[in-house]
Amino acid sequence: MKLIERLYKDAPLATRNEITPKLGFLLTVLLALVWLIPFLWMGVATLRPSSDGINLMAELIPSLKPTLDNIRDAWEIGDFPRYFLNTTIICTGILLVQFVTITLAGFAFARLDFAGKTPIFYLFLMQLMLVPVLLIVPNLSLVVQLGLYDTLAGVMMPFFASAFGTFLMRQAFEAIPTELEDAALIDGASLIQRIRHIYVPLSLPSFSAFAIISVTSHWNDFLWPLMVINSPDKRPLTVGLSVFTKTAEGTQDWGTIAAGTLMVIAPLLITFLIFQKRFISSFVTSGIK
Amino acid sequence: MLFSRRLMLGLAMAGSMAGALAVPALAGEGPTEIDLFFPVPVDGKLARDMGTLIKEFNDGHPDIKATAVYTGSYDDTLIKTRASIKAGKPPAAVIMSANFLLDMQIENELTNLDSLIAADGSTKDQFLGQFFPALSGNAVINRSVYGVPFQNSTPLLYINADKAKEAGLDASKPPQTWAELTDWAKKLTKREGDKVTQWGIAIPCAYDYCGWMMETLTMSNGGRYYNEEFGGEVYYDTPSMLGALSWWNDLIAKHKVHPPGATPGPAVSTSFISGNAAMMMLSTGSLTYVRENAKFAYKVAFIPRNVRNAVPIGGASLIIPAGVEADKQKAAWTLIKWMTSPEKSAWWSRATGYFAPNMAAYKTPDMVDFLSKNPDAKTAVEQLDVAKPWFATYKTVPVRKNLEDEVMLVLNGKKQPKDALVAAQKAADETLKPYNAETSLKLP
Repeated sequence: MKLIERLYKDAPLATRNEITPKLGFLLTVLLALVWLIPFLWMGVATLRPSSDGINLMAELIPSLKPTLDNIRDAWEIGDFPRYFLNTTIICTGILLVQFVTITLAGFAFARLDFAGKTPIFYLFLMQLMLVPVLLIVPNLSLVVQLGLYDTLAGVMMPFFASAFGTFLMRQAFEAIPTELEDAALIDGASLIQRIRHIYVPLSLPSFSAFAIISVTSHWNDFLWPLMVINSPDKRPLTVGLSVFTKTAEGTQDWGTIAAGTLMVIAPLLITFLIFQKRFISSFVTSGIK
Repeated sequence: MLFSRRLMLGLAMAGSMAGALAVPALAGEGPTEIDLFFPVPVDGKLARDMGTLIKEFNDGHPDIKATAVYTGSYDDTLIKTRASIKAGKPPAAVIMSANFLLDMQIENELTNLDSLIAADGSTKDQFLGQFFPALSGNAVINRSVYGVPFQNSTPLLYINADKAKEAGLDASKPPQTWAELTDWAKKLTKREGDKVTQWGIAIPCAYDYCGWMMETLTMSNGGRYYNEEFGGEVYYDTPSMLGALSWWNDLIAKHKVHPPGATPGPAVSTSFISGNAAMMMLSTGSLTYVRENAKFAYKVAFIPRNVRNAVPIGGASLIIPAGVEADKQKAAWTLIKWMTSPEKSAWWSRATGYFAPNMAAYKTPDMVDFLSKNPDAKTAVEQLDVAKPWFATYKTVPVRKNLEDEVMLVLNGKKQPKDALVAAQKAADETLKPYNAETSLKLP
């Protein structure tokens, strides 16, 4: 009830006596709780001793004697520090190159004039409609021909250009008044200088929105790294984790899986909690709500 | 004096370094490096066991350096193997789901092992003679050997003996027919009003598992899933399969003794262990897990019959993909023979619950000892007398999914068995069309 009271006090005067915003808020709280349950379960399952047996495994109430055994098991089965490092290298590597490619491509589609601009742009957007699985064999052949099989660079390469990112940056750049660029042009700024000092700083929210999408999707990618990587020491987190979550004949050690999952998502989760406000505002300003 | 000593030391070091550098050059090439692709059969601890196994092999074979490469589920392993063959980087050996061999052979993705067997001075019959006869159906194609059985399974009926006793049933006399099983399941289901607190039986249905369970039920219903001699035909829309699916559906919809919906394997084993389901049909590959986690007396039994006792083989074989260079092929062959030897085969069987395909494994002292302590490990082996090959067709995975998608609809209460099987047959015929056009329908 305290929550409702506070909500009442915090609400703008005009809506203070209205019921709909409060209902909306309650619904949000309810949804958040539903969303929270898997995380809660993961946390509880991680700390539950295996001596509790599988009977209690599905319960959300924490065990009275929490244990770190599951975390230790998961830590021993997988070389997690290395998996973390590999995933971080993959995600940052992809993102850095993507920043360059989507800025230039986005700028070209937003501001440059060239023959067949619109058809080329639509052709580019068609990439969004292809299921990545479809391209596994041709991509892998290319990676092998380039001598990048079983390397982290091979995992990153197909994602260096992003149709979605280009689209996003094109939209962002188009929203920037051309007068700013014209002023810079009069001052003698080169093309790169104009992009660097006008377009990029003014589109930072779009960049961060794209960064979130890019990092989370590559952090979670499983099939492509599985195809490219052979050496155990080059595995990213998803492949490392699935060593103990995939099963052929129908049994699973839930405690260890929960612990492993927790370790895999923890960095993203913590980053999100710290930068929550910024993340959300970046989506709001970039128009993706 | 000091100076000269330094000089001497420096010279000595330079010399030793030159020596160290020269050693690899003098010894020629290093060990043959090979990759072994492996899916994880049960859980992560076994991935570690696989590491132990390969390390032992490398220690005993200094001229070969094998690396165990984890490749996901059975289906993922097929995708990865195929992609790497097409990209020109095939691994030297793969632990491949036994029923994918035919499809791979049709696509020319397998190395025929006959010449490797002959080079050892052995005949095909001698070589295959080491393994249980029921396994050759999935290892031999057109009278040539393409796979070596490594970890194999049959489906089993697991019974919670404590719950059976509670319900006045004797788990030492397990149900032998579907009628008896239905009866047991009814007695073992507990209800509070409309809510079920304990299910009589659970049978898994998820991709990969569902097709295998449908083959199990169809076979014990007198039928067959596919044409064992030819990869272009499946028998989905048949009385034996309709009977099987209808019975499974009745357990859910009519008798209400089986949890509704398509339940994945891990959920089935979890609810059996937790006492939420009193019986389950699951692979012998889960036996070690059940043994280690069950806090009650349990019993494993043959799959009950409606018409006859029959079960399919499951599990995986070792293969050498096409396009592996000769020296790597030789190294892979050494690894394969080592892994399927009686001792290693027996060790892996004890670790996983799969039965050891090599018959001599059961004569090793460790295994004799193990079986005397764990008689439940014998059931799958005894059941081999009635075991038949695992379904294998052209494009096995899509053809299997054509059926699985429909079976899931039935179990979820969205379709009737007959309609589902007609639709599955139609979809599968479509998938098999290109192969039939090239083979059975190509008239001279």
